[in-house]
Amino acid sequence: MLIELALRNLARTKVRSTLAMIGIVIGVMAISAIGIFGESLKAVVLENFKDLANEVIITPSYTHGYSSIDERTVQKIEKLPYSSEVIPVKSSSTLIRFKDKRTYVKVYGMEIDKIRNLFKLEKGSYRGCLIGGRIADFFKLRVGSKIEISDEKFRIGGILREEARFDINPNFALIISIRDFDRVFGGDYKIVIVRVKDLDKIDEFKEAVERTINRRDKVVSVFEMKTIIERIESAFAKVTTFLMAIASVSLLVAGISILNIMLISTMERIREIGLMRAIGAYRETILKIFLTEALILGLIGSVVGGVLSFVSGYIIDLLILKTTKYVFQLSSLAYVFIGISFGIATALISALYPAWKASRLEPIEALRYE
Amino acid sequence: MIELIDVTKVYRVGTHEVFALKNVNLRIEKGEFVAVMGPSGSGKSTLLYLIGCLDKPTSGRVLIDGLDTSKLSDRELTELRREKIGFIFQQYYLIPTLTALENVELPMVFKGIPRAERERRAEELLSIVGLWEKKDRKPNELSGGEQQRVAIARALANEPSILLCDEPTGNLDSKSGEVVMETIKRLNEDKGVTVVLVTHNPIVANYAHRIIKIRDGVIC
Repeated sequence: MLIELALRNLARTKVRSTLAMIGIVIGVMAISAIGIFGESLKAVVLENFKDLANEVIITPSYTHGYSSIDERTVQKIEKLPYSSEVIPVKSSSTLIRFKDKRTYVKVYGMEIDKIRNLFKLEKGSYRGCLIGGRIADFFKLRVGSKIEISDEKFRIGGILREEARFDINPNFALIISIRDFDRVFGGDYKIVIVRVKDLDKIDEFKEAVERTINRRDKVVSVFEMKTIIERIESAFAKVTTFLMAIASVSLLVAGISILNIMLISTMERIREIGLMRAIGAYRETILKIFLTEALILGLIGSVVGGVLSFVSGYIIDLLILKTTKYVFQLSSLAYVFIGISFGIATALISALYPAWKASRLEPIEALRYE
Repeated sequence: MIELIDVTKVYRVGTHEVFALKNVNLRIEKGEFVAVMGPSGSGKSTLLYLIGCLDKPTSGRVLIDGLDTSKLSDRELTELRREKIGFIFQQYYLIPTLTALENVELPMVFKGIPRAERERRAEELLSIVGLWEKKDRKPNELSGGEQQRVAIARALANEPSILLCDEPTGNLDSKSGEVVMETIKRLNEDKGVTVVLVTHNPIVANYAHRIIKIRDGVIC
């Protein structure tokens, strides 16, 4: 019956209750929608890197005087445990020509059969020289076009799909086979990309590198992509938290509004409170009645806000990210849950003082209140 | 039985003290019907509220069935009021959002009586005060006399042994007032409820077995 009583008390001041509830709806909606957007944004960015998580990049230890990785070291790396694939890469910068245009590009040399594991093609096949999309645009190249690399002619076999990597940027690069690279440029390897079998074995792999290759001198440095991805994730989490904190200001305002209407309600119902105390209600019962009213306001406002946050999250994602596929992912649901919890907590915390004040009223003073 | 021993009640108004009751000694036997009369500000309502455990004396003792109320905690006083005392006020004090039936149920809700049981009993009490057919009406749909009869039914919800009435007919016309007083009298006679009634009205006071007159906080 206390819930019934609380509901009817709220219905008694419909406009006031509705306005307070709208405050909670807006607050919860703002927090959850921003949470959904932040999570979607992170997902969009990380989607590009999702295949890189189990990659380890081995570079020469420049600080110890090494500028390349020799054949023997690469062979040692290939023999290390935990790796599923080892892709040694040579690189150089050079001037390339096509018709009357010329530009400097990065040229990578790697084994042809391993290229297909790293890069996807936009057009053509993996035979011959592969070229980044941006350079293809610059030179207006097509599959089959012939370009000049250090006075040697190469046929374009394929055009690489645009992609984001931390170690090799294929968009402005040329990729040729190791054999061609050795013939034109020569030299040792600049980078070795290792795919580790299992994400959990990355640390073990790093230890193995230290134990075998860097035993006497620090020949190579090891970077794991996982760390970079984790840093991106943590940076996005911080931004999302910050935005949610800003959004929670609206919830704070809603809380103050609830505090206000509850205080007014306490004063308006002071004699009812006195009566209830006179006929046998404990102080806690009065406290419960007021908190129940706030809980109902908070619950309805938060759930409505939670549902609406999907709508606004959907709209924000559509407008800013141009995709809505991340709106309904599990982590978005978590933010809606957080928003709803904050909404309910705000309503309850705001009602604590008025409810406590109501419960502390002496029955005789409350009954005599004019 | 109600017993007041050397009871004084002082209210502090600003810097000076106002004596609402001065060394009052009073004994009301079980089943008695007592009217307390006196002019405004004589301390008669204060006396009623002290008996009703809504207020505490500045000095002296109030005993309800031999229990010293000054030694009880707030929780124990609440339980005492709930179990033993029924209140009827001049302004009825019905909860406007609840129906007549629900208003009568309220003291039983606070006592934790199950719904079915309290509904049955509330209907029975509304029948006693002649308002069963209006049980689903809200207070604003009832006349003053009817509201006061609902308040009487509510006061009887937990079967109290004492009924305290503060000007129960003060807001009613003489006909409604008579119905209310007849109801209170019947409860006293049939159920043996002790009634303490505060009034200005000599006609109302005449329903009582004994009239106590009070002036300036002293029983005359």
